[in-house]
This record gives sequence, structure tokens and C-alpha cells, in this order.
Amino acid sequence: MTPESTPTSGGDNLLELRGIRAAYDGIDVLYGVDLIVPRGSVVALLGPNGAGKTTTLRVASGLHQPSHGDVIVAGRRVNGARPEELARLGFCLVPEGRGIFPNLSLRENLRMMTYSGQSQHDVERITFERFPRLRDRRSQVAGTLSGGEQQMLAMARGLATEPALLLLDELSMGLAPIIVEELYGIVAQIAREGVSILVVEQFARTVLGVADYAAIMVHGRIAKLGRPDELEAELSTAYLGA
Amino acid sequence: MIESRDRVEQFQHEIAEMKLRDPATSKDRLWLGAGIVLMIVGIVLAVIAYPMSHTTSNPLQQNDAITLGLGGIAAAIVGGALFLRFSIAAFLRFWLARVIYEQKAQTDRLLEAADSVSKAPIT
Repeated sequence: MTPESTPTSGGDNLLELRGIRAAYDGIDVLYGVDLIVPRGSVVALLGPNGAGKTTTLRVASGLHQPSHGDVIVAGRRVNGARPEELARLGFCLVPEGRGIFPNLSLRENLRMMTYSGQSQHDVERITFERFPRLRDRRSQVAGTLSGGEQQMLAMARGLATEPALLLLDELSMGLAPIIVEELYGIVAQIAREGVSILVVEQFARTVLGVADYAAIMVHGRIAKLGRPDELEAELSTAYLGA
Repeated sequence: MIESRDRVEQFQHEIAEMKLRDPATSKDRLWLGAGIVLMIVGIVLAVIAYPMSHTTSNPLQQNDAITLGLGGIAAAIVGGALFLRFSIAAFLRFWLARVIYEQKAQTDRLLEAADSVSKAPIT
């Protein structure tokens, strides 16, 4: 089935942002963001540095309170929900910069995910099935893993909770193109299993191959929303500010 | 992995059941600020009350100063209670969670050790 040109409000959407405005210390950075992640789809949020992509993810995941607007998850307005509770229910954010504990071993990092009630054994099983390469690194201190392996660990910790909705922030940051390609292959595999994904990416073309919809964000607003093939032509304009 | 369809339905159900409180961050901050202000004002009033009573021999003025001083102390106590409730309580919650986690980890280690001892061959 071909997806519609743009996702529509209501219905079976897992995440909806309506008119989101947000600020840091009184300085506005989002000016009315409207974004939809339909059930079972991958939505790419693209845009140049400083456009407000990460803030949008922080608002969606409950880490930053919007000054106006609604965050709607699975049909329910969840403004004010605690981010840890959303994460426990299956709304998972893999943050920019990976957010792993560099002084702990890989196993100890995974152990931190047992807070959600799963056993260490289950967390490791899910991780090593998805990322076999990490099996050999179990005892290694996370800070000494390669960039790609650290990103895999960050994703693994998110996936250990069996998320229904996954937010990924700048997967490709600081990684070689071949590793980025491998990681997006895994993202595509996760998407095929029915997990809804909102992925923020500065390097747009790497993510368009796996996205069902893409939104271009500029200066705190969604400038364009549509299918990836429709947005290809708009990308240069958005990034160069022409 | 759980069947994704079931997982999404479970997620939707749990989100619908989730208990949400109103965004109270700004209220918490307001109460914390009020606590700090009350503590400072209370201490200042108590300090002011001393020279007020000390520089007069009029018992009515001295009574006023005593009332002011006691009011200041009461305000400082209420302010301190508010401050504790809205700032240190958050830290204590985190500390308690950490202690519980450590205890659980220690118990797991002891059980693992006891298990390995019980399985060891007797020579």
C-alpha cells in the first residue's frame, strides 16, 4: 500500500505534536510545530543545525515542557507526563551523543535497562540478537568501544524495553558512512517489525531511504512535510537557506 | 520479541491508563521560591525585633517586638518546611531509589554466591 502524501491528524497515529512552541530561558526556539508519526511508519525530521530538531524530540519525549501546544501519544494528550514513565511504557528516546555510561562495561550499561522490569538475561538476549557484534564486547568498558559500537549500545538499550515508539537523534553523528549505512539497515529492520520511528538527522540523504515520510524543519517550524521522493528537491533550499 | 501489533495495542492501552498530573513544575518552583523568601524574611524580622525591643523601655513596644520576632521565627520555620518539601525531597527520593537498587544488587550477588557454593562438588 502506498502511503498518503502527508499523514493526517487523528486516527491511528502513535505520536502527534500540535502547535508546539517551546523556549529555553524565555527565548523561543519552536514556533508552532505540527508533526505526525502514523502507526508503523518511519518519519524523518530533517533540517540544518539549530533548526529545533532535538528540541522537538525533547518535547515529544517529555524531557522539555512546551510553552504552548499539545503532545498526543496514542491518542491521548500527555503534556506533563514524566519522561521515565513514558519510557517505561515503550516510548523510547535514543539521544544525540549516545548517552551511554562510558566508565561502565557494556554489560553494566545493559543492566541499567533492567529498571523497566526485564531481567538481565532478556535484555542481553534482545541486544545480542540484534547486534551480534556486541556479544564479543560484553566485558569491555563502553567508553573504549568504537563510535559505531557505542551507537549500537545506545540503540540496544532503547530496544531492550521493546518500544512501540522509538525516537532517534542524529544516529550518524561522528560515524563513518559505512557504519551509518549499517545502522540505518538495522533501523529499517526495526521498522519492518512494526515499531513507529521518528528519526532526526542532519545528513538527510542517509535516512530518506528508510523513511515513509519526511519533514524539513527550518528556524523552529516545519517548512515542508511529505514523502521522501517529494522532498528531495526541497532539501538543498532548506539547508542553504535560499 | 512481542508481536508488534500486540505491542502497539498494549502501548495504547497503557498510555490510556496512565495517571497524569497537571504540569506542576512551575508550581513547584513557585513554592520553592516562597519557602526561600519566607526563610529570609523570617530571619530578617527576628533580627530587626531585637534592636526594636532593646532600644525602648516601653512594654507595649517591647511586646510588639516580641510578636514580630516570634512571627519571624514562625515564618522561617514554615519557609524551611516548604524548602525541604520541594527541593531536598526530590534528592532524597533519588537517594532512596539508589539505596534500594544497591540492596537488590547486593542480594543478587549473595544469592549467586550461595548458589555456586551449593552446586560446588563436595571433596
